[in-house]
Amino acid sequence: MTLRLRPAALLASLVLLSAAAVPPSTAAELSIPPIRYHQRTLPNGLQVLSVENHASPNVAVQMWYHVGSRDDPRGRSGFAHLFEHLMFKSTKHMHAEQMDRLTEDVGGANNASTGDDVTNYFEVVPSNYLQTLLWAEAERLSNLNVDEKNFKSERAVVEEEYRTRVLAQPYGKLFNAIDPYSYKVHPYKRPTIGSIEDLEAASLHDVIEFHHTFYRPDNATLIVAGDFDPKQLDAWVDRYFGWIPKPSTPVPQVTAKEPARRKNRRYTVTSATAPLPALVQTWLIPPAADSADYIPLQVAAALLSQGDSSRLYQSLVYRHEVAQQVGAEADGRVGPGLFTVYAILASGHRPAEAEKLLNEEIVWLATQPIPAAELDKVKTQLLTGELTQRQTAQGIAFALGQAALIDGGPQHVNSDLAMLQKVTAADVHRVLQKYVTGAHSVTIDYLPQAASATPGAGKGEAK
Amino acid sequence: MSRSMKALRLAVFMAAMTVAGAVLAVPAAAAVATDGFPDAPPAPGPAPKLTVPTPFAQTLANGLQLISAQRTDLPLVTAQLVLRSGGEMDPPRLAGLADLTAKLLTKGAAGKTAPQIAAAAEALGGSLTAAAGWDESAVGITVTTPKLPLALGLLADVVRRPAFSATELKRAQIQAIDDLRLMLSRPTALASLAATRGVFGDGAYGHSRTGTPASIARITRTDVQQLHRTLYRPDNAILILTGDITPAQARQLAQASFGDWQKPVAPLPVKPVGKAASRLPAILLIDQRGAGQAGVVVAHAAPARSDAGYYVGMVANAVLGGSYSARLNEEIRIKRGLSYGASSRLEPMSDAGLWLAAAQTKNPSAPQVVDLMLGQFARLGHSPVSAAELAARKATLIGGYGRRLETTDGLAAQVAELAIYGIDLRQIGNYIKQVQAVTPKQVEAYARKHLDADGSKVVVVGDTAQFAAALRKAHPHAALLESTALDLDSASLLAPTAAK
Repeated sequence: MTLRLRPAALLASLVLLSAAAVPPSTAAELSIPPIRYHQRTLPNGLQVLSVENHASPNVAVQMWYHVGSRDDPRGRSGFAHLFEHLMFKSTKHMHAEQMDRLTEDVGGANNASTGDDVTNYFEVVPSNYLQTLLWAEAERLSNLNVDEKNFKSERAVVEEEYRTRVLAQPYGKLFNAIDPYSYKVHPYKRPTIGSIEDLEAASLHDVIEFHHTFYRPDNATLIVAGDFDPKQLDAWVDRYFGWIPKPSTPVPQVTAKEPARRKNRRYTVTSATAPLPALVQTWLIPPAADSADYIPLQVAAALLSQGDSSRLYQSLVYRHEVAQQVGAEADGRVGPGLFTVYAILASGHRPAEAEKLLNEEIVWLATQPIPAAELDKVKTQLLTGELTQRQTAQGIAFALGQAALIDGGPQHVNSDLAMLQKVTAADVHRVLQKYVTGAHSVTIDYLPQAASATPGAGKGEAK
Repeated sequence: MSRSMKALRLAVFMAAMTVAGAVLAVPAAAAVATDGFPDAPPAPGPAPKLTVPTPFAQTLANGLQLISAQRTDLPLVTAQLVLRSGGEMDPPRLAGLADLTAKLLTKGAAGKTAPQIAAAAEALGGSLTAAAGWDESAVGITVTTPKLPLALGLLADVVRRPAFSATELKRAQIQAIDDLRLMLSRPTALASLAATRGVFGDGAYGHSRTGTPASIARITRTDVQQLHRTLYRPDNAILILTGDITPAQARQLAQASFGDWQKPVAPLPVKPVGKAASRLPAILLIDQRGAGQAGVVVAHAAPARSDAGYYVGMVANAVLGGSYSARLNEEIRIKRGLSYGASSRLEPMSDAGLWLAAAQTKNPSAPQVVDLMLGQFARLGHSPVSAAELAARKATLIGGYGRRLETTDGLAAQVAELAIYGIDLRQIGNYIKQVQAVTPKQVEAYARKHLDADGSKVVVVGDTAQFAAALRKAHPHAALLESTALDLDSASLLAPTAAK
């Protein structure tokens, strides 16, 4: 039995009690109001999801394409991401950077991101610009027209992005090495940001081919959230997107199967600038859409690392003072994902010390009773985080896009939270034993090394 | 670790802008091409109105200022306890004391240990975060409405009854020193610290607010206790509650948790002077061998928050480097592909301000980026901004402002900024009008006045073997410092033994 979160009107009765006497409400009592979304599919295959919400005079417009770095052409790692940047250059009816004129210059904002499985373009604008933005998104889906000059200058930007993320961040090389070392077969093994060599090899011809292959209405989801009139929205969507033809060829699909790991593997990466060593371990987990296993894995990651009261923080950072930072994440994807733990060591400590404690905590969590209050704590943390995200139109749209494209369908935006409430200690034990303690790890040691010893610095780890 | 390899179009530090009834020249009504798809963007409808919550201020008998702002869309409340004193009060040689004190609040209080406090806060769904700014120290938490009474009880415990145990101090020092080592390995972070020292010299804003490895190691338990006793008092405090809460509920809750907090008889200490003479050369290069990029920073002194030209300054910075389409990013990234992102920020504080531009670029491009940045600062004071450009950047500024007010913690941050500097809270609703009123002439005059006054401080941190010689062709007086010879505690940045 669940109760709605109580609004302020009911708070008065609580404050009559002294603060200490208030009975703590448990996560089981919390229930997030469901996102009431509307869903339809145009005849050309474009999926449209919308959520009306008038809390602010803004509207979020997001285009999610079912294409990511897993789809990078051969020898072109980083291409899906480079392509994402080029979607802000010219089209048949828009000059380069006109997207910024239609957003920033009128009080809105835009950005885009590329992940392993998806590329999303997102804007938030004062709601009177909704029609303008729908036109603009339809325009760059159907009429992209990048020239050589813009292609080259934006490729230089992406190369600087590579240097910023991978080379200039003290732990950039480590995090960039996770996917290449964690996958054997699946194209997830290519880092999303790619490599300077592969970016240099890309051509304008590749851009045209990629757009033709993946940017099509039946490979896209349009999400609109915020201040709009639903009838008006449907009419505009029909007008600007409805005419775009659906190609007769099928969208290429990744069919590679990542084999189960047959033994533990270990790698070493060095850094000229990182002041402290670090350690990462990964295990393969099922696709995010496998909610029955994926959601308990998320709870396990939160038990291990969410907040200063989490198990890894308490052990490695607080009690043993071996690590400066720790983390755990269930990185769910459309295909096989990763359960990842990491530690940046404290001064004077070695990766092996962190590894021993990390493994003790994981085994303990996987096998010993989990106090009900602790399980309740992480559910409350995860639910409160979800509610905080939903304060803005953009946040609501992101939750919906994540659910629709990665977690198995838009209905997961609500059903996954219901499932989270029901996760038990036995679920956490089961998934950790199956995918982590009963499976094989990849371990990466990250070691500081003076610059003079690495003449190849500047090449990165990418394959 | 937040999947750090997800690649975004914009650098994260740039991605904070939206809304508002921005009025701008709009595209002509769309013509319709032969296939039925218009060949120009449709014109916008009438601008929607932004509703800004009105903050409600009250004062408790002990002098505690209580400000609440109601936003009832979701059952969430952000609670922030803010002291009107921060890093500017750090004693000489104890850089980072105010920040370390704030961070120690949650590490044991009212008979509870650090793990117990973390567990209590996190069981409420939030986490207690504490830090010192230049003119304020703050502890805050965001929780669902039913958890608010317990969250405020916890907030009162850590602010009023911290233990500051010797073991927790030692632990915090070790962690802070490692944090600093990580931060100082990032080229732009180090360049920003050095440039700030260049602008403020020995003044209160010149040191590292999070300390240096040496200054953190010097801090004693007595230092922490004394700072807490002197500055953490109800007549120096503001409690901010934003979200799903009424003024009457706010008063009742504040009274329950903070009503019996006694104010000391001693007067509050006087604030120190923010800015002193600079002892740094105009251009400083810091060698960080093996750096993957160079961090380029150009910094200027700027007026304090109380300056009458505050909104002109905000607009001037919006034109210079406040967003993706602003001039710095236009020239450095969009036109030339030299960086993933170039931006600037104007940070007015209680006794002075800082205007700082930053970009990271491949090492060999550092000299070009320095000159582009200097050129854009100069241009701002020596030619008027066009009406179209000004309108666009004002819209960006206003939009970002409106969006920040959409969340309970963004709203709390905005309220806090006004309250800390003693600005009339009604300004929260006047922001748009004030920004719209700024003229091109005012921007030009503001830039000329403040940018010409003191000269700029340029700091480049990177693999200097790749750019020092080229940079010195245009700037023969650029000084070079090994990062090993760097002493951020010194106004000259030079370690006593290692002059070069």
